[in-house]
Amino acid sequence: MEHIAEIEHVSKIFAGKTVVDDVSFVIPRGSVTAVLGPNGAGKTTVLSMMLGLREPSQGSVKLFGQSPKQVQVKRRIGAMLQDVSVIDSLKVYEVMNMVRSYYPNPLRMVDMIHLAGFTSDELNKRAEKLSGGQKRRLGFALALAGDPDLLFFDEPTVGLDAPARRAFWQQVDRLADQGKTILFSTHYLQEAEDAAHRILLFNKGKIAADGTPDEIVSRLTSRSVSFIADWDGNDTYPVLEMIHRMRAIPGVSDCKEQEGRWVVTTDNTDTVLAALFRYGIPARDIRTGQGRLDDAFELMLTHDEQDKEAVSS
Amino acid sequence: MNMLLMQCKVEMLRIIRNPYYVFWSLLMPIVFYFIFTRLVNSGSDDVKAWQAHYLMSMTTFSVMGSAIMTVGIRMVQEQTLGWSVYMRITPLPGSIYFIAKMFGQTVMHAFSVIVIFIAGFLINGVHMSLFQWIGSGLWILIASIPFLALGTLFGTMKRVDTASGVSNVVYMVMAVLGGMWMPLDSFPSVLQAIGKWLPSYNYGSGVWSIAAGEAPAWKPMLILAGYLFLFMVLSIYIRKRQEAV
Repeated sequence: MEHIAEIEHVSKIFAGKTVVDDVSFVIPRGSVTAVLGPNGAGKTTVLSMMLGLREPSQGSVKLFGQSPKQVQVKRRIGAMLQDVSVIDSLKVYEVMNMVRSYYPNPLRMVDMIHLAGFTSDELNKRAEKLSGGQKRRLGFALALAGDPDLLFFDEPTVGLDAPARRAFWQQVDRLADQGKTILFSTHYLQEAEDAAHRILLFNKGKIAADGTPDEIVSRLTSRSVSFIADWDGNDTYPVLEMIHRMRAIPGVSDCKEQEGRWVVTTDNTDTVLAALFRYGIPARDIRTGQGRLDDAFELMLTHDEQDKEAVSS
Repeated sequence: MNMLLMQCKVEMLRIIRNPYYVFWSLLMPIVFYFIFTRLVNSGSDDVKAWQAHYLMSMTTFSVMGSAIMTVGIRMVQEQTLGWSVYMRITPLPGSIYFIAKMFGQTVMHAFSVIVIFIAGFLINGVHMSLFQWIGSGLWILIASIPFLALGTLFGTMKRVDTASGVSNVVYMVMAVLGGMWMPLDSFPSVLQAIGKWLPSYNYGSGVWSIAAGEAPAWKPMLILAGYLFLFMVLSIYIRKRQEAV
């Protein structure tokens, strides 16, 4: 079997509001996929449907070819969820042993302790007395208790400091090297770019883009050619003609003057360069550039917020 | 099987480590028992019979309390901590989780019964036949099931504060009106009429009969069975509605 997870035309409607809108994707074995998107994009809802915690309003979710509610499936998955705290009144090692007992082939206790990096002092602490970061480490170890093939991490690094984040992603890398299939959600672009082989970009309940981090970068960001044009005299006609000709090139979305330079926004910078010479435009100091993904991402988020304000006002 | 044993063990550990359990289920009933049989003159003709009767009252008071409060509040807590969501993605079947909870709770009840019975014996030298001791203990454990179901019903509440507030009030009102603190015949007749239909009175009634050397009547058994059915249907209904998202 090639695909660990198959999501087909899945929608989720809460109280008349479409949170996830006709989403389809497959997760191949051994891949590391980031579900990236701003808050409220439907990431957590998609994950909870994949985990069998929520029922899709439409469409089907299959893990290992079966419904995620099947016990055979649950034995092969592990997850770290948002808003799950630890069970109270139990010591850390008791919680670990308890969760291990749920799985037919659990990790060895020593391996789990190693994964969580707990000292024997911490192991004997009551789980509810752990610090936030320690609780997260416990959650991580519990996700791996059953030695799962497929792992879900929902916003795994929220609230962690930089060293803890780094340590977390190093462990994820190691798990990926062991051949585990990993799906994580995040609203940090950098994390998705660094840790994932593939990004599913969610926006407003839909998949806005799906591809490798590089592909996403090129899709999200625009390329441009910029130059300084030296016209003879103040003849406006060639300027208008240039704008007209540039805009006629396939893939060009804009041509305008910004801070003394002409900027041509395009999918393909090569055709713009060729055109500059073909039309004999008196251009000098020609530069090609690419917008930053961060900017594009920010832009997407700000659009969202404007939408929200529009809805609430 | 391993799963079930582990789960029972864990649930028992969690109850015994709860300071409220030790206070409400062991200390309070014993202190009350001491006060109302040694310090306060009950004015009863048969002191020995009163001491046995009141020991049963206090034991049912203890077990009823921990059945309603511990189960309900625990469940709400697990809900708010997100732990019950986590459990749903593990291969642990929900049924085992629930059975372990009920079983662990019942073992703790058995422990409470033994401790309070021993206290009664030590404080007043309560004397009953072995058959009566065992029969009383069994009644208290088995007839506590409707209260476990009531706890489960309170366990469907959203907030710990609400659940603990409501279950506290229900617990105390049922204990008083059910004649657990003082015999029902010292109450005005209206309250007596109400009290006799409460699950708490019927819970006590069966074991009071056993302590008095009689077999429990059918009526309290039927009433308790009715309450069990009602609480179960209600909590299953509410839970199904909550899960339908």
